[in-house]
Amino acid sequence: MKFGNLLKKELGELITPQAIVSMVFVLVLFVFMGQIMGTAMEESMDTSTITVCNRDDSDFTKSVLDKVTKDGSVTIDYVDIQGEDYAAELERLDIKNSVIIPEDYGDSILVNKEPADILFVSTVSTGGFSSSMSSLSAGDVISSIQDVSTDEILLRTYGLDDSEIERVKTPVNLIEYTVANGKTARISSTALQAMMMMQSMIAPFVIFFLLLMAAQMIMTAISTEKIDKTLETLLSTPVSRLTVLMSKMTAAVISALLNALFMMVGFFFYMTGMMGSAAEQITGSMDAAASAGEALSSAQAMAELGLALSPVSYLLFGLQLFLTVAIGLAVSLILGAMATDVKSVQTLTMPIMIAVMIPFFITMFLDMSEMSTVFKAIMFLIPFTHSYTALTNLMNGDMLMYWGGLVYQIVFFCVCMFLAVRMFTTDKLFTMSFAVNNNGKKGGRFGKNQTPHEE
Amino acid sequence: MANVLEVQGLSKKYPKKDVFAADGVSFSVGEGEIFALIGPNGAGKTTTIRMISTLIQPTSGDALVAGHSVVKEAAKVRESITYLPDEAGAYKTMTGRKYLYFMAGLFASDKETVEMYVRRAEAICGLGDRLDDKIGGYSRGMIRKLLLSRAVMTAPKLAIMDEATSGLDVINALEIRKMIKNLAKEHNMSFLLSSHNMLEIEYLSDRVGIMTKGKLMVTGGIDELKERYSAANLEEVFERVVLENEVR
Repeated sequence: MKFGNLLKKELGELITPQAIVSMVFVLVLFVFMGQIMGTAMEESMDTSTITVCNRDDSDFTKSVLDKVTKDGSVTIDYVDIQGEDYAAELERLDIKNSVIIPEDYGDSILVNKEPADILFVSTVSTGGFSSSMSSLSAGDVISSIQDVSTDEILLRTYGLDDSEIERVKTPVNLIEYTVANGKTARISSTALQAMMMMQSMIAPFVIFFLLLMAAQMIMTAISTEKIDKTLETLLSTPVSRLTVLMSKMTAAVISALLNALFMMVGFFFYMTGMMGSAAEQITGSMDAAASAGEALSSAQAMAELGLALSPVSYLLFGLQLFLTVAIGLAVSLILGAMATDVKSVQTLTMPIMIAVMIPFFITMFLDMSEMSTVFKAIMFLIPFTHSYTALTNLMNGDMLMYWGGLVYQIVFFCVCMFLAVRMFTTDKLFTMSFAVNNNGKKGGRFGKNQTPHEE
Repeated sequence: MANVLEVQGLSKKYPKKDVFAADGVSFSVGEGEIFALIGPNGAGKTTTIRMISTLIQPTSGDALVAGHSVVKEAAKVRESITYLPDEAGAYKTMTGRKYLYFMAGLFASDKETVEMYVRRAEAICGLGDRLDDKIGGYSRGMIRKLLLSRAVMTAPKLAIMDEATSGLDVINALEIRKMIKNLAKEHNMSFLLSSHNMLEIEYLSDRVGIMTKGKLMVTGGIDELKERYSAANLEEVFERVVLENEVR
């Protein structure tokens, strides 16, 4: 009853209407951003409408442009660009870029037998994602023009038919095999890695946000109580200190999970919105190849290589995630209890932030297995490193690393909890302090065991 | 008159400090009595009060609240006391009424008792409809009234109040003093107060204890002390006791 009363109060303090509004805001923001990015990508990637100024009326050029638009994936808008003041002309025609085929294009290739020029004029706008994407897709069309031009040369000059042209252009077939977990599967390693990244990249983000959120919450909760002296009132009531401690931690876990849920749903929408088309392309091409009986589909390959996560793996990952949050909470609790003012709360958040951020970035951008032993040891001492590597370890079946990390985290958590409980059940809660002096220097009373109101 | 509080040689020495914050403090508070600890800043009043409130552990000595030791039976002691710290705040996101319900819920488990406590606090604090407003919007005086009503709503055997009227204007402070006096008289509640305000102490207290440098120098009734130190008021008594000990 008393625990319920306390938990209700803690949840009420953490999950305020403002907090819910900000959670919903984050969700909506992610969905919105995903939509915008997705639309921008789709527009620039899918439609592939290209503006062409064709100054060459030769049969060769007409034939090339017809073949480029033949499969329907590219539409050409023909414009008439006059002179060489491209800035003025693009503005006049209200277009961002254009391919210009000079009048001697066909003749250069067929008659003069020289490489022909093709011009591409594009506007650089201030960092617009969409405009750079449209330049990229224009680049694809230009490559396509070059490719079809080669076909035309081979056809007209050497009289080769379609199958001969194909043989000349691709005399070598690449068959890729990927080895993982001591098993081999017929799939491109680049494509497989892209798939694995898409699957596993969400996990570090969950851990990162969950940790920062939980740490911030418990630190604020405990330090505010101390600074406002509501903690003294609370601890002089007939409720055990452990009950107070547990109610705070439980509320922080619930609140952190709720925040993480909102954030991850938002992040998921963002990723699917933005990556939708890219992912479709990768898996699409892989699955198309699979159906042709040449290679495995992404899902098949991952299963065959033992890289797919089983329900047990998910459960183990969940266990690690829970332990991670628990460690974050216990450490924050100890740090938060040292705070004597708002400034010191900010300073005390730093160690947690650093311990969460360093392994986050290092595991994201570097390969831990290639690091020096000393560096690896330092990294493994940070308990959150094991949280970030857990999913990869589970995917790769590196169970020794997983269990080692988990055991270390359990030990770390027990030590932290022991310290937190000791702090909460003794004078230390009121005597340990970490204040920031007026001149901004920190550590004014840290460890001196003096109460701020000692009389 | 039975003693609600028996303080026996209570001492506290903080680690890495050379001097005792409280040094062999002994006094008692009877049923329905208002006892005040007075002393200059750093005299050890708050340390003594915190030990009696079970917030910090004594280095040596003990205090019995309603017969229970603060060292061995802290949980039992907390059932008999309420503590109001100096400059204490309340949870800003709660309404005043919610705060009272929350605090009452920590003292009682059955709904009827909780309701009774809250009704009592509502009557004492005099905040009326403002109790339905968030505490974040309260003035200092309103918060103090809310906290005071919270501290007495459970009719504890001993209410411990550090600077009970700090931050209150004259009218509010007067109201609070009358309330404390009335609760002691009518409801036989005992109070352990600490204050810098001699006028308040002289008006409120039955007996005072003057502390300086961690030691309780003298205890006695107001009139008794005035007579002993040939002083016109408590301020003069206080000055003489403090100066006498500084000379020593």
